[in-house]
Amino acid sequence: MDLYKLSAYELRNLFLDKKVKATEITEYFLKRIEKNNKKLGAFLTVLSERAMQKAKELDQKNAENKPMGRLAGVPIAIKDNTHIEKEITTCASQFLTNYKAPFSATAVKLLEEQDAILVGKTNLDEFAMGSSNENSSFYPSYNPWNLDCTPGGSSGGSASAVASRISLIATGSDTGGSIRQPSAFCGVVGFKPTYGRVSRYGLVAFGSSLDQIGPIATNVKDIGLTMEVLGKHCPHDAMSLEFPAESYIENLREDLSEITVGVPWHFLESLNKEAHDNFVQSIETMKSLGANIIDVNLDILKSSIAVYYILATAEASTNLARFDGIRYGVRSKDAKNLEEVYDLSRDQGFGYEVKKRILLGTYVLSSGFQEAFYKKAQKVRTLVIQSFDAAFSNCDCICMPTAPITSFKLGTFQDPIGMYLQDIFTISANLAGLPAISVPSGFDKDNKPFGLQFLGPQLHDAPVVSYAHAYEQATKFSSKIPPLFDKEF
Amino acid sequence: MKNWEAVIGLEVHVQLNTITKLFSSAPNRFGDDPNTNITVVDTGQPGALPVVNREAIKKAAQFGFAVNASVEKFSKFDRKSYFYPDSPRNFQITQFEHPIVRGGTVTITVEDEKKEFQIDRAHLEDDAGMLKHFSSFAGVDYNRAGTALIEIVSTPCMTSAKEAIAYVKTLKAILEYIDASDCNMEQGSLRVDANISVRPVGEKKLRNKTEIKNMNSFTFLEMAINAEIERQIRLYEEYESDEPDNVVIPGTYRFNPNTKQTELMRMKERAEDYRYFPEPDLPPIVLTQEFLDTVKATLPELPQQRFARYVEQLGLSEYAATNLILDKQTADYFEEALTYSNNTKALCNWITVEFPGRLKELGHTLSSIDIPAVHLANLVKMIDEGKITGRIAKQVADDMVQTPGMDPVDIVKNNPDYQPLSDASAIEPLVEKVLQDNPQSIEDYLAGKKKALAFLVGQIMKLTKGKASPDIVNELIQKKLDSKN
Repeated sequence: MDLYKLSAYELRNLFLDKKVKATEITEYFLKRIEKNNKKLGAFLTVLSERAMQKAKELDQKNAENKPMGRLAGVPIAIKDNTHIEKEITTCASQFLTNYKAPFSATAVKLLEEQDAILVGKTNLDEFAMGSSNENSSFYPSYNPWNLDCTPGGSSGGSASAVASRISLIATGSDTGGSIRQPSAFCGVVGFKPTYGRVSRYGLVAFGSSLDQIGPIATNVKDIGLTMEVLGKHCPHDAMSLEFPAESYIENLREDLSEITVGVPWHFLESLNKEAHDNFVQSIETMKSLGANIIDVNLDILKSSIAVYYILATAEASTNLARFDGIRYGVRSKDAKNLEEVYDLSRDQGFGYEVKKRILLGTYVLSSGFQEAFYKKAQKVRTLVIQSFDAAFSNCDCICMPTAPITSFKLGTFQDPIGMYLQDIFTISANLAGLPAISVPSGFDKDNKPFGLQFLGPQLHDAPVVSYAHAYEQATKFSSKIPPLFDKEF
Repeated sequence: MKNWEAVIGLEVHVQLNTITKLFSSAPNRFGDDPNTNITVVDTGQPGALPVVNREAIKKAAQFGFAVNASVEKFSKFDRKSYFYPDSPRNFQITQFEHPIVRGGTVTITVEDEKKEFQIDRAHLEDDAGMLKHFSSFAGVDYNRAGTALIEIVSTPCMTSAKEAIAYVKTLKAILEYIDASDCNMEQGSLRVDANISVRPVGEKKLRNKTEIKNMNSFTFLEMAINAEIERQIRLYEEYESDEPDNVVIPGTYRFNPNTKQTELMRMKERAEDYRYFPEPDLPPIVLTQEFLDTVKATLPELPQQRFARYVEQLGLSEYAATNLILDKQTADYFEEALTYSNNTKALCNWITVEFPGRLKELGHTLSSIDIPAVHLANLVKMIDEGKITGRIAKQVADDMVQTPGMDPVDIVKNNPDYQPLSDASAIEPLVEKVLQDNPQSIEDYLAGKKKALAFLVGQIMKLTKGKASPDIVNELIQKKLDSKN
């Protein structure tokens, strides 16, 4: 049986109907991982024993006809900046190679409670800082559509694992596009929920006011299924929304009738022709689904990259201060006194990009510079939020490409600004805390996927997912499997 | 020689007695084994997040109302960055821009003069852990890390160590009355930083100030402030012709109890840049009018209210009332004793003077040695009812300290020496004897010298070893003398 071609939803039902055992599923996907992970660099850790143990428990439970969780039997990968109790959380950093998580993230706990099978920890840019996975301190991750190319970042390992169907669902974290951009690059679906919808407890923080955990899956319905499990209030995260979990699956749409879609045409003018054509094609599809397309003004978003790299690095500079070699992590063996414990441990433990961002964040918060950078950025962030509010008064959702380009070869961007500019379409959802989903929208001339992004007002998570579903059902781009991995083993 | 005046402002850090810590569910408890009262939040584990303790917010609000401050409907937390091993995240979560309490006044009588000290602000923040040094290494105990602190910042409104002590004592009393802190200075739950400058009397501008950190006893606080004031005056006088700005160098000092001098820790130019910015993991604290009204309405009686009641209704002197109110335990003891006896002045005297004098060397208080208030009240009652004399009462008090828990009524009953001599027929012969022995005094008395009477009474009391009821002695002697007239 070609289990890898199934959606998580279908696989779960197959298991519940006792047509396949959880141990069979687990062995099957562990084997796919073993076969392919070297090529993909998607996983940093494979949790074979943990997964098989859970699978055995599930088979037992299923045989006894006990009630099963909503994700029963579904293999799920966890981005390696999110804690699974007693397993190493590396954040793809040399600093944390020895860090055994003392507790499970709320998201992980919820997945396990609903009987998901956690198969491993996925690769990422160190501390989620990057857009190409090249900043992993262990090894890069590759794009299943073209192994010379990046899967995107920072949740590149998760997107790579899902696109290659070595896992059917993976979690990511999204601070400025880290779920959506790799999902677009890898031709899968990735969802960043409203800020506060999914608990950040147990997610190693990058930019606390921007970070959100969300799912990456092969199709929109699986996103809905996962969100019904993850989207819960959590008492351990003070920013967690106190709203009940939404129903996603029963609200999935097949059309877009009576839906007004805002498009910031002016802001999209700089798109290259191929990307522009792909986007226009998507808009035509939406029109054919009954959507009313209007123009919205979001020109303020051109400032979003500057705002983001000030606010995210400011927060990161303090979030990463705790990595000092005192309580946990790798303490430099060369350190002879307290100052050296700090200096050498951080010097040896952090990679180049992380250090750069810590320095940048420290600088923008320094006295004398805070007014010009941090405080001004906060003001512009408010303007971004206001622009979205104004736009959403006229439309139900906003559509943009997920990224200005498709996946690129590793090493393409030597200039950091060029790399940062790739986040232009994703960052604003984080600045405004909006739900945003990326769905596959076709392929470029080199057969690399494009992604289309739907953004909604805060708390409109389920509607945003439902619009993406209508588009997906009309286009079926997300059912495409990368040829290299379109075989069982 | 110029006349100098000191300008002092205090920052008082007080650990709130919440059950759990400010941002975690770990117990807030002193004295346990190192690193036992910790959660992943208190050691700054990656992925752990702070969640604010509502009890701490309530206690801060209570404090605000207790000092007539403005309790802010909107306040929020900020990150204060600095690296130190006792700081588990290498940033402290404090309230920089929007503190929960603004303004406020502390009123106290210092040397018969009513003084008002102004509070600038009070904010919530978390305490750090503690470094422990061993022979070959240092360790960190994070039990204290995350304990809720309220930092109370005064304006530079004090002029002497005496005033500073009075201010801190009053704050301490207020915090104890509202049950916000145990204010145990030895255990570090109340610590004081003092900002000190001096200037010639009449000069308007403030001169450079120095900060003395982390004082946790009134004795050291007083010595440190005085030492620092003297040091600054000495410098200004020695370098009189220099620009004052170049004489006293701003910086952080600590008090060395051995030399009794303040010592430089670091100069202000090297002050760290704390890079304050809003804590993104915590929403602002937004308090409703309803919450504030409830907190205000449910405040317990405060020290100043008790003070007013004691002076106005119970007729105590301001001095005695101040002594009583400043220590909540003592004041509560007095309150309890009042339910058994209404001789307020006598109760106050026994509670604030007689017993502390007896208990001091033992290192005890009335409460700690378990002398129930009813026993103390019984002692006062026995005197008032003439069952024992004041002199015997003092001996009974000695016995009460030796055998705490024993009712003075029983102590008196069981000791024949303490039985009162109230039988007139037994005292009369003694009166006769004393009058025979002191004819001069009789003459004096008859000549109008009232003092002579007291002398005669004293002589009789001596013969009875203090057991005779002074009333009866007075009555008898008066009768005899009048008959001679």
